[in-house]
Amino acid sequence: MKTLEISGLHKQFVDSYTDEVVTAVGDVSFAVEQGEFISVLGPSGCGKTTVLNIVAGFEKQTDGSVLVGGREISGPSPERGVVFQSFALFPWKTVLGNVVFGLRMRGVPRQEREPIARQYLDLVGLEGFERKFPHELSGGMQQRLGVARVLANEPEVMLMDEPFASVDAQTRRKLQEDLTGIFESKRPTVFFVTHDVDEAVFLSDRVVVLSSRPSQVNEIVTVPLERPRDWRSVLDDPDFRHTVTHITDLLSGDESRVVQADLDSA
Amino acid sequence: MSRRLAAAFWFVVPFVGLVVIWAAIVALTGVDRRVFPQVTDVARAFADMWASGELATHVGASLQRIAIGVVAALVTAIPFGFALGISRWAAAFFSPLLRFSVALAGIAWIPLATLWFGTGEQAVIFIVWNAMFFALTYNAMLGVQRIPTELLRAARSLGTTRLRMFSDVMLPGALPSIVTGLRVGLGYGWRGLVAAEIIATNAGIGYSIFLAQRFFRTDVIITGMIIIGVLWLIVDRVLLAPLERRTVERWGMKAVVS
Ligand SMILES: Nc1ncnc2c1ncn2[C@@H]1O[C@H](COP(=O)(O)OP(=O)(O)O)[C@@H](O)[C@H]1O
Ligand SMILES: [Mg+2]
Repeated sequence: MKTLEISGLHKQFVDSYTDEVVTAVGDVSFAVEQGEFISVLGPSGCGKTTVLNIVAGFEKQTDGSVLVGGREISGPSPERGVVFQSFALFPWKTVLGNVVFGLRMRGVPRQEREPIARQYLDLVGLEGFERKFPHELSGGMQQRLGVARVLANEPEVMLMDEPFASVDAQTRRKLQEDLTGIFESKRPTVFFVTHDVDEAVFLSDRVVVLSSRPSQVNEIVTVPLERPRDWRSVLDDPDFRHTVTHITDLLSGDESRVVQADLDSA
Repeated sequence: MSRRLAAAFWFVVPFVGLVVIWAAIVALTGVDRRVFPQVTDVARAFADMWASGELATHVGASLQRIAIGVVAALVTAIPFGFALGISRWAAAFFSPLLRFSVALAGIAWIPLATLWFGTGEQAVIFIVWNAMFFALTYNAMLGVQRIPTELLRAARSLGTTRLRMFSDVMLPGALPSIVTGLRVGLGYGWRGLVAAEIIATNAGIGYSIFLAQRFFRTDVIITGMIIIGVLWLIVDRVLLAPLERRTVERWGMKAVVS
């Protein structure tokens, strides 16, 4: 049984001003295995966030199904934790309070919460910052906290929507390496959304490449890189460069088709 | 510590300046001191009121009323404001009424309040409650509406039940705005209190000013005015400022200025 199974996903929005119907997701199907790191990649505006929001239970699909552990999802649930681009930390909670939050909500006994939370804070490298408030942390550290907060809940799948897009390039590299490290030690199932080809290839076992709107799965690319991974050795790896080139071609081929379609319709 | 001392010093300086100018004007113009009392006259009136226990009675009565009014306003306005913040429909429906009521809140209700409740505690407390209610409701509503969607979503996908969303996400999330509402509302409530006491009661700072007017005791009137202002400063320093420091500032959330 697959951990996450998406089939025939379709989503239309009705623009509230113009009443125009926008098809955000055309027809998307793919499955994620337990302990797999999968990225969803595609041009901006192709519906990646919409797919993630449906899987998270924040939005309802127009058609198609999403199964987690074989069961149809209904609404948000701690089995599907979300790491947001904007971090979405609770500013009124300390670092420790943020990680403990989910455990409290799920009724984990008080004396068990803190050891669990500390374990995950150590995992993401935030030991010693327990009593700080989120606004006292750098962007990179805030997102580490966002990851710890989700992992402490031990979700079936961790959903991440361009989580490193709002940190500087230097920090982003480090966060990507650390996320890979965490993944390699804990093997959570990860559903990662990005528009950055290098990032997707570096992190993932497989990359789901979406076409532009109305989005469909263009190709699911398996990444042939060994683990553990780090940027130094991956950048020198010809397999990395081949995979990146292949995906870049897929995306630009898609773009030229769009241009062609525009020319045809003109 | 020395910075605090300096801050206290610069806080007091303008008041000292005001007192000096006041004393100088009265001394130089030779105005009738029954019309405009000298600083020393006011100080004497203050000392007399203090010694006779009158002052404590009036201040106590006023503070008790404002306290009851504030609590009543908080327990009614926050749930109502939250309901408006959550339901777009309710917000749209009640918004015109809220705006209409803000202009009328407090003092304009005194005639009706005295007809309904007579001249006593209830009428004054009603005015304090009424003066605060709309500002608090409005800010509680804004506070809930301004909580980022992603924060609500994060909480939901961490396993927060709908019921606990109120206590664990919306209440702290809306707190910066509620504190703003409390500050604005307390200002309205304070003025409402003084005005209502003039008409609807037989104790309190507002009442003491009104009584003094009948006997042409300008010294007592000015003493009462100063006490009203000083009490407000104390409430601000002792209640509101620490509340803001402990919550909004500590959490790095900006107090909403509206
Ligand atoms: N709530 C919404 N209402 C209307 N249109 C939406 C809504 N959310 C997304 N869209 C539209 O759906 C398309 C896909 O958006 P999104 O999923 O955010 O793309 P991506 O994350 O790949 O950049 C966009 O054209 C966007 O304008
Ligand atoms: Mg997006």
